[in-house]
Amino acid sequence: MDKMEGSFALEDMQNVQINIGAIVKEVDEWDQPMGPFPYPSIATLRDWDFKIMNRYKVFYSPICDRCTLCTYGPCDLTGDKRGACGIDQAAQQGRIVLIAVLMGCTAHAAHGRHLYHWCLDKFGDLPFKMGDEILVDAPLTRTIAGIKPKTLKDFGPVMSYVEEQVSQLLACTHTGQEGSFVDFESKALHAGMLDSLGKEVSDLIQIVAYDMPRGDEDAPLVECGMGTLDKKKAILITYGHNLAGSAEAMFYAEDNNLWDKVDIGGVCCTAIDNTRICEGIGHPDKEFNDNYRMVGTKAKIAGAIGWWRKMVRGDCMDCIMVDEQCVWTDAIVDAEKYKVPLIATNEKIMLGLPDRTNDPVDEIVDDLVNFRMPGVVVLDPVKAGEVGIKTAIAVKPKRAEIREADPFLSEEDFKKYAESCTYCHSCQFVCPPHIKIGDVVRAAAEGNYEPLSTTYEICVGCRRCEQVCPQDIPILSLYAYANREYIRNQKFKMRAGRGPVKDTEIRRVGAPLVLGTIPGVIAIIGCGNYPNGTKECYDIAREFVDRGFIVAATGCMAMDMSLYTDEEGKTIWEQFPGGFDGRNICNIGSCVANAHLHGAGIKVATIFAGRNERANYDDIADYILNKVGACGVAWGAYSQKAASIATGFNRLGVPAVVQSHSVMYRRAFLGRADKREDWEIIDARDGSKVYCEPAPEHMLYVAESVEECMLMMAKLCFRPSDNNSGRMIKLTHYCDISMKYFGCMPPDWHVYVRHASDLPLKWKEDMMKELESKYGWEIDWKRKAILSGPIRKSDVSFDPTNIERKIRVKK
Amino acid sequence: MAVDTTKNPVPFEMAQIPGPEMAKAYNTAVIGAILKKAKRPLLVVGAELFEDPVIFDKAIEIGKTGVPIAATAHSIKGFVERGYTDNVTMIGLHPLTNYLRFKDWQGLDGKGQYDVVIFMGIFYKFASAMFSALKNFNRDIKRVSIDRYYHVNADMTFGNLAFNVDQYHEAVDEVIAKLKG
Repeated sequence: MDKMEGSFALEDMQNVQINIGAIVKEVDEWDQPMGPFPYPSIATLRDWDFKIMNRYKVFYSPICDRCTLCTYGPCDLTGDKRGACGIDQAAQQGRIVLIAVLMGCTAHAAHGRHLYHWCLDKFGDLPFKMGDEILVDAPLTRTIAGIKPKTLKDFGPVMSYVEEQVSQLLACTHTGQEGSFVDFESKALHAGMLDSLGKEVSDLIQIVAYDMPRGDEDAPLVECGMGTLDKKKAILITYGHNLAGSAEAMFYAEDNNLWDKVDIGGVCCTAIDNTRICEGIGHPDKEFNDNYRMVGTKAKIAGAIGWWRKMVRGDCMDCIMVDEQCVWTDAIVDAEKYKVPLIATNEKIMLGLPDRTNDPVDEIVDDLVNFRMPGVVVLDPVKAGEVGIKTAIAVKPKRAEIREADPFLSEEDFKKYAESCTYCHSCQFVCPPHIKIGDVVRAAAEGNYEPLSTTYEICVGCRRCEQVCPQDIPILSLYAYANREYIRNQKFKMRAGRGPVKDTEIRRVGAPLVLGTIPGVIAIIGCGNYPNGTKECYDIAREFVDRGFIVAATGCMAMDMSLYTDEEGKTIWEQFPGGFDGRNICNIGSCVANAHLHGAGIKVATIFAGRNERANYDDIADYILNKVGACGVAWGAYSQKAASIATGFNRLGVPAVVQSHSVMYRRAFLGRADKREDWEIIDARDGSKVYCEPAPEHMLYVAESVEECMLMMAKLCFRPSDNNSGRMIKLTHYCDISMKYFGCMPPDWHVYVRHASDLPLKWKEDMMKELESKYGWEIDWKRKAILSGPIRKSDVSFDPTNIERKIRVKK
Repeated sequence: MAVDTTKNPVPFEMAQIPGPEMAKAYNTAVIGAILKKAKRPLLVVGAELFEDPVIFDKAIEIGKTGVPIAATAHSIKGFVERGYTDNVTMIGLHPLTNYLRFKDWQGLDGKGQYDVVIFMGIFYKFASAMFSALKNFNRDIKRVSIDRYYHVNADMTFGNLAFNVDQYHEAVDEVIAKLKG
């Protein structure tokens, strides 16, 4: 049901006006009735959450054993102790998890709210059109809110809903409110769902307003890497997630024919969104369309978040515009030190700088170019864009005047610093990826720069080493010096973010995905805190795309996996097509575009399986959990947004694997394969209970190594609905990855065998022998059939569900 | 002269200060004795063994004394390559710790929950968090680290030996000798 608000005057009755707060009308464009849960509140989907948590046990690994949130504290909660307010350790961990998920959720939603206002101001209330190939055009909005947006303004109530729920959820974290860990986690799952909705709104608004690609598998290849920034020009770096100011800088450069004088390089998700601008199906505003067609390809991807401080030390910028999210908060310190003027363009990050929004552009530029102030706040995106471009161009020669000729350390200084290392190992005590920095610096002092090169991409640029060094060695500058040739030559290609998955693509892959013959969707998402360098994202992507999985990437992972090439010098984007299909790899877009991966799952349920998505979240999530073999990986997750993204995936029935640093998130959802009762599923045909194999076994899993990550991802693509051919294919990959990286079969392969035709052809004979000899299964060798042993028999008509109302005929 | 494994009891990632209850660093004789006394010990080894492969051999020595081994991450490969898989089980550290925290778990061999877990060769932050899970949610299991790091969430640990490989190897040898003795 859609609500409409308005007012009208009665004829012949002047000064009489009747205000209608909300009239409700049944809109005729839906071909399905309103589902059971429009705009679900905190408790609405609690039953579904409990179903998830009954199977996937909430697992906490506290990072801090204390609570310090109220004045009774600090309270020690170790073991079975409780705090003064009565909270126990599990509930306290759940509370912190909820806060983290809310942080992530609000970051995305507030981004969307800013874009909502800005785009309405700039473009007006544009029609919401995703093109002929995307008719299920806002799947999360439909599934959660139960509405079909027709214009940008229709997203307003959706944002208001998210904001109200966030407010209610945050209230629950106050002392003396929620006290149960399972309810904290149900609330976190709710926040994760809201996060997915906020992301969808954010990205759909910018897709429409800035005419970004709508599911374009042939989205253009754009330049990526520090070396692509042309140092003969002024370089403007736009850093963060919200393209508003950055887009205006691009429009200003275009309007004034300045691209030969300035390069615009994006960092973090702003980078991806810059390159999507005006690459879509055509903007409804003809003048805008004519002026800026394909302007996105003129911007460059400077790099992912993990490269930020390496870019600073690598002298890759003349001026910085920051917007919101993932901006290192000492950016202004670096900017001042290296004489790079900084313009803060969003209220969320103002860094103590003077607000110059209402000052004339030329005055602001003059102050910045003459270093009277290290940075300014300019909250008007149009003005900020102009200031950014003008400042970059004008300051470039000034910067050259005031600095030494070579921006990198001199050879003399490099040697001096390297030789001053006392090998105290203070740096190694604080290095997240445990680089043996002392050894690296000592080798450099002896003239061997090789360790500085080989560990350059492993370094996450946190700069903790420099802060603890008693000799004040600028370790990141040593890295920059030793890798200056690499920095200059870091030139690669990345496919611009393509946006949502098309309905036509879902029609093509729906059946093979549900039956398992496309072994799964691998969603590679997230940030840049990698345990062993950026290459592992490339390795994960390559492993699965080679195996015929659908591989989709977003955000910093998409950028970082662009930095590697095959023997022919091709990046992964040049090696494989960009469709949502097996043996394809698609860059969906920036952080907020992750929502389209949720959307793809929903679309499989609604387009392929004909499920009603309208306000029907748990039904859709149940379908995905049981039938859509998909698994997310956040191999470099560092942020609270990653926590909310993963939690949102989990509520929708999609498991995720994260890397070992992600234990900092404190919470996981882990299944117990040894508890048969945890894996009881309803057969929707008749309501009978069936004990299933643990598929998927876990919902949120930390892997210790990339090898374990890949094995677990293959395993987490198993679904109860797999047909024999699909299960055989999935089992083949699971076992093959295990043989490749572990040197042996996984110990639980037999758990996933229901029928002889589930067995991989490659090992079928040996496996049947092992099933008989090791596990005591009964085998009919003449027919090569399994007579007894499996957890359940293979049944092509099995219709697994966890929701009682889906039972068609009760037994 | 035994290696002094009680020196340098500082969390390997220095900001990792969990709260009032922090591990004590013990010498090798005491740790060896605890392992020997354990009724249901479990040695848990991880992927860092590939960075110092001689530790695989030391783990196998411990395995041969009858202590079962949980090989986390892809560390099983090191045991396969050395032809020793008798009492070695491939399992992820995360699900393993999840099982360990439940008192009704019957162990990798189905014979019951463990009373002592010994961590070695696991990425520091991950191991620390898993010790924390057990510290808070199953205090019946004694948490022992014979890794090269001071492990703040263990019950018993070495001090930091990460910067002296020879001493670390020697310390592990001393624990093994005590276990065998």
